[in-house]
Amino acid sequence: MKLLLAEDDAMLADALTTQLGGAGFEVEHAPNGAVADYLLGKQRFDIAVLDIGLPMLDGLSVLKHVRQTQPALPVLLLTARDALDDRVAGLQAGADDYVTKPFDFPELVARLQALLRRSQPASASALLGRLSLDAASRRALVAGDALELSGREWTLLELLVSQQGKVVTKEQITQAWSAEGGETGGGNSIEVYIHRLRRKLEDAGLVIRTVRGLGYLMEAEA
Amino acid sequence: MSQAPTPTSPGQAGVSLVRQLLLWVLLPQMVLWVAGGVGSYKFAAGYANQAVDDSLLQASRSLARQLKPIGNGLLIDFPRAAQDVLEADPSDRQLYMVSSPPGQFILGNQALPPPPAFSGAGAKAQPLLNKPYFYDGTMPEHDQRARHAASGQPLRLVALYLSFGEDGATPQTMLVQVARSSANREELAQRILVDMLLPMSILILLLTVIVWLGIRAGLSPLARLRQQVEGRAPTDLAPLQLASAPRELWSLATAINTLLSAVQNTVATQKRFIGDAAHQLRTPLAGLKSQTEIALQSTTDPELRARLQRVHESATRSAHLVNQLLTLARAEPESVMAQDRQRFDLHRMAQTLTAEWVPRALKAQIDLGMDEQSTPAVWVHANELLIREALTNLIDNALHYAGAGSQVTVRVLPAPLTPANQHQAMALLEVIDNGPGILPADQERVFERFVRATDAGHGCGLGLAIVKEIVERHAGQVELAEAHPGLCVRVRLPMAGKH
Repeated sequence: MKLLLAEDDAMLADALTTQLGGAGFEVEHAPNGAVADYLLGKQRFDIAVLDIGLPMLDGLSVLKHVRQTQPALPVLLLTARDALDDRVAGLQAGADDYVTKPFDFPELVARLQALLRRSQPASASALLGRLSLDAASRRALVAGDALELSGREWTLLELLVSQQGKVVTKEQITQAWSAEGGETGGGNSIEVYIHRLRRKLEDAGLVIRTVRGLGYLMEAEA
Repeated sequence: MSQAPTPTSPGQAGVSLVRQLLLWVLLPQMVLWVAGGVGSYKFAAGYANQAVDDSLLQASRSLARQLKPIGNGLLIDFPRAAQDVLEADPSDRQLYMVSSPPGQFILGNQALPPPPAFSGAGAKAQPLLNKPYFYDGTMPEHDQRARHAASGQPLRLVALYLSFGEDGATPQTMLVQVARSSANREELAQRILVDMLLPMSILILLLTVIVWLGIRAGLSPLARLRQQVEGRAPTDLAPLQLASAPRELWSLATAINTLLSAVQNTVATQKRFIGDAAHQLRTPLAGLKSQTEIALQSTTDPELRARLQRVHESATRSAHLVNQLLTLARAEPESVMAQDRQRFDLHRMAQTLTAEWVPRALKAQIDLGMDEQSTPAVWVHANELLIREALTNLIDNALHYAGAGSQVTVRVLPAPLTPANQHQAMALLEVIDNGPGILPADQERVFERFVRATDAGHGCGLGLAIVKEIVERHAGQVELAEAHPGLCVRVRLPMAGKH
């Protein structure tokens, strides 16, 4: 994965280059906006990390420029300014995500990976623990064995997997089901479906946690 | 922080403007009124005297005409009828006496005192003949002839010296005196006085009321100006409304406004400096953190790792502090954000935010969730980002201090109506944990800036101060309550009306 890092603070740039390199990125560093703009025009990057407060040409200008030529390039903005103040401006300029300094490095990497996942063509399969999903055929496999799932169970499972590590609210589940159409009502509550899924996923190496008053969260078993 | 100056008590303040104006308008009026009263009394008394004196003179002349000189003697032709005319008015009987000086009584119904100028030891002047002398006297005491009036009664008298006797003979002088009680005369004067002074007094009273009302009306812009200054929060530096200020106040209000805007500029500059300083700290802190993380990954020396770990913690804590300071600056009333409010569902906001925090809570082995009894659709009118910040701080605090294995619950519901809030429905936002709680002794202090109840965690002691600042900025309250065991932080916010 080729990554452009535009950051003028030498110490931070040095550390980020090392850390991102360790996380599997091939990092190209631009110490100012002009260089970043030049590199973006010359080379092909998979993702860009732009500091807003860059010398010569600020990050927002670089972003606006690159959006004209590469609308699909995932761009994450880094800023020392107030996230709340600049969020709107950044997102309006076409940023895909936004991280305020100082940040936790694992969070930065997680956001970059999320951006990359979104920019890739919809992946045919997703993996979590020993579970793999095949979106095209709407099939779920645990260690290669297919699971028998109803339409609603599949929708629920796909939702939980796509939001892995995050809370999926009951509202989201209801919405996903009604978007799916098909079997309606049925009196069976979300709890019943969750209970069934848990039983079917016993050997999948993952857990579906109940989050009080909110919904459910799926994550790989520790 | 210097101590605030004690406000000037009303006793130390200058004289009230109303009182001063009233004094200046009404005091000359009172003086004029008194002078007018005294003057009109004098005039009235003068006119009354004139009338009495005229009648006395007339009486004395007609009495004198009754005395006809014959040779060296006098023929007294004083018929009963004439006597009746003199004594006609029973309430104001005329007293008379004819004598031949010095002191030889000829006739009369009363012994009357002689004119002061020509009696007594010091009298040297000779009285002029045929010239009436008017004077005041009193009824002589213990006179057997005092049949008509009490002794000591004030009298108005006229004395007329006349000469009689044959030609060639030694001319003799006779004194004709007529007197009337002064009581009648004074009564007359008093009546004239009352008739004049009563309408004047009523006029003065009316005038006083009108002047007082006028002054009050004239000074009302001053009172309005005072209300504008008095009623405002110490942080409210908005200029005074000048639209209704009269010309005289305009310059004062303008001067105050100039001062206010200068203060506002100074405050804004300082705040901007703090904000800029905080921003400038972020990049180096991010560098420090990242460098430390790399160093931690690339060393295996346990002692070095321990030290690097502490550097990293310190950098993390500094970063947290910088963020908190910026949040606090944003909650300040001058910030654009604090004034930008919209109507939103507190329940939905709490739900979204709590959901965002769940993964972090799970990592810290804390069961974070929403209370099942939370009521959906609790609408408030507030700045959503700031309220979000407040709740973020509450959840963050709870996760820090409750500890692994504990339970943290967020709850949103409309507050039950109490007498205190029956005019304004309040929304309740609670964050409840079953951790160790806060000692009652510390409960008041924890809302102060940079006060921390425990040494645990990496807090900077600004979390609850931020919550308090934000909540109070929205006319809400925040309090701590026992949760048996643990802590409940309860935030009340005014609910928004139905659209």
